Amino acid sequence: MSTNPRDVGRREGVFEREPARRVFAAELRECRYQFKDGEDEKSPTFVLLPTGERCNRIFLVGTLTEKQRQGDQNIFYRGRVVDPSGTFYVMAGSYQPEAMQQLAKIDTPAFVAVVGKPNLYQTPDGAFLVSVRVESITVVDKGTRDLWVLDTAARTLDRIDMFSTGTKPDVVKAKEQYPNIDVTVFRKTAYDALAQIRI
Amino acid sequence: MDFSEAAERISRKFSQKGTEVDPKKIESKLRRLVNEFGVQPSEAERSVTNELAKEFNLPAMGTAGGKSSGTADRKKIADMTPGEWVTIEGKIVALSAPVSPAIAQSGIIADDTGGIRFVAWAKSNAPVMTEGSWYRIESAVVDEFKGISSLKIHSGTTVKESGTDGALIPDTVPIGNLQKGIGCIRAKVIQEWDASHERMLQSGLLGDETGTIKFVIWKEGGKEKLTVGSVYNIFYALVDEFNSRLSLNLNTATILQDDSDIQVSGGDTTVRGAIVHIAPGSGLIKRCPVEGCNRAISRQNYCPVHEIQPKFIYDLRIKGWLDTGEKTHNLLLQRDVVESLTGITLASAQEIAENNPLGMDEVFLRMRDTVLGRYVTCHGREIDNRLLANTCERLTFESGEHAALLNRAGGAL
Repeated sequence: MSTNPRDVGRREGVFEREPARRVFAAELRECRYQFKDGEDEKSPTFVLLPTGERCNRIFLVGTLTEKQRQGDQNIFYRGRVVDPSGTFYVMAGSYQPEAMQQLAKIDTPAFVAVVGKPNLYQTPDGAFLVSVRVESITVVDKGTRDLWVLDTAARTLDRIDMFSTGTKPDVVKAKEQYPNIDVTVFRKTAYDALAQIRI
Repeated sequence: MDFSEAAERISRKFSQKGTEVDPKKIESKLRRLVNEFGVQPSEAERSVTNELAKEFNLPAMGTAGGKSSGTADRKKIADMTPGEWVTIEGKIVALSAPVSPAIAQSGIIADDTGGIRFVAWAKSNAPVMTEGSWYRIESAVVDEFKGISSLKIHSGTTVKESGTDGALIPDTVPIGNLQKGIGCIRAKVIQEWDASHERMLQSGLLGDETGTIKFVIWKEGGKEKLTVGSVYNIFYALVDEFNSRLSLNLNTATILQDDSDIQVSGGDTTVRGAIVHIAPGSGLIKRCPVEGCNRAISRQNYCPVHEIQPKFIYDLRIKGWLDTGEKTHNLLLQRDVVESLTGITLASAQEIAENNPLGMDEVFLRMRDTVLGRYVTCHGREIDNRLLANTCERLTFESGEHAALLNRAGGAL
């Protein structure tokens, strides 16, 4: 029997924290499918990556280029975090007071490490938007950003390998949901991201 | 005392069955039973023979001594199945306080094959049994509750003190093979946890070569704490299940310290990943100064067991989550690791706390800002998904890895 927790499902009463997936902005931007694992109100929500991995949480490191305070009654902050492939939209509201205060304190531009939950929205004109609700955001240095690019490139390539050979349920689902996406473009995304690191 | 003759005898028995056993090994087992546990030499010989027979999967063959003139229908405890009416002979190895007035006595009865929980109903009018004595129990019923067997002594059961008077040295089983019910193990105390209840004397983790298990000792007269790092023979502990994990209740157990050491499994783990969360209770903390307690206490200096302790001891720790992208590990860093990772020593942390309006929070925030979102490699011991790190170092950029990834990504373009 497989011991992969994905295959055996959640055990009653045993808490397992969802891992933070590593994904480039260019791939996250392509997400169009979001689902719940289970019927429970508290069941986790996942965004399905085109390369066939579900993510409830992501870890990203990039440059915070802009931030903006919004709202009158319910104050929240929006920010843009740029990686070599594109832009992540991050937000922190009054339900995440600590994350909001962390974000409020940071002066742009700065390298930041963000842990957060991706959410898929559809705008009134039909466009899709993935934004990341921040759990924590800290200022880091370029070294950490470079490590993240290596890490994320390796994970992305792993997923592409799994996708081409795979019969994993999430890969099958991704093939259904994203029939028009050729995942090999993300290989180029990874290459370009790696190539931007100068030693 | 000389054991070579007995050892030779046992070794011969096995070679007749086609199995070679080193007499030296037998001799040391015998010596241990007799010298350390005060077992009769004949009983020791029988016990060792049976242990080896079990090890080599041979039918029980211990005969010398020990064996009493039991009746044919007498059952061994290990062979009983729920729903059966049985007659057994066993020793009361533990008595526990009855949980209901309908129960006269409850505890654990054992023979040389194992132990079982028993309940004597008040209505059964059974004689009062004493701990350490042997009884013959006729027509009792084995039943099962939540997967745990127990022996019910009811009004149709006959209980007689039996003439047997022997030391009982049960076989220990590897932790990995423990099942619900009664268990005997030889294990090392590898962790001690903060007590979560004021009636709790001690809780923590025991481990052997095959795994680990949580244990608890409730406060009760005569109960003593186990020492972290020591090895114990634990006989007749209650094995319960909680949140689909087994745990041991040691209140019924006979516990003997052992001078040897065991190599506990899960000893060396290396995890490389990003620190994605720093939990409250990290940074500068206060610990209870009472000898043997050392619990983390509240900011108001309240220890859950020893109440207000104004003479607390300061300590550093970081609790958090270390994430590889595939799996998240609960991470625990102790003072020396925290100091080298954050560059903040205990002394400077105390200074920061004293000279800042935020006090201890300031230490937490500084540590959080230094380690959160960073890549590290941690070495340590992982138990139940909790990684107790001996070292935790920042990851550095490897240009070789960079080049290899460029090749991998560019290879198929």
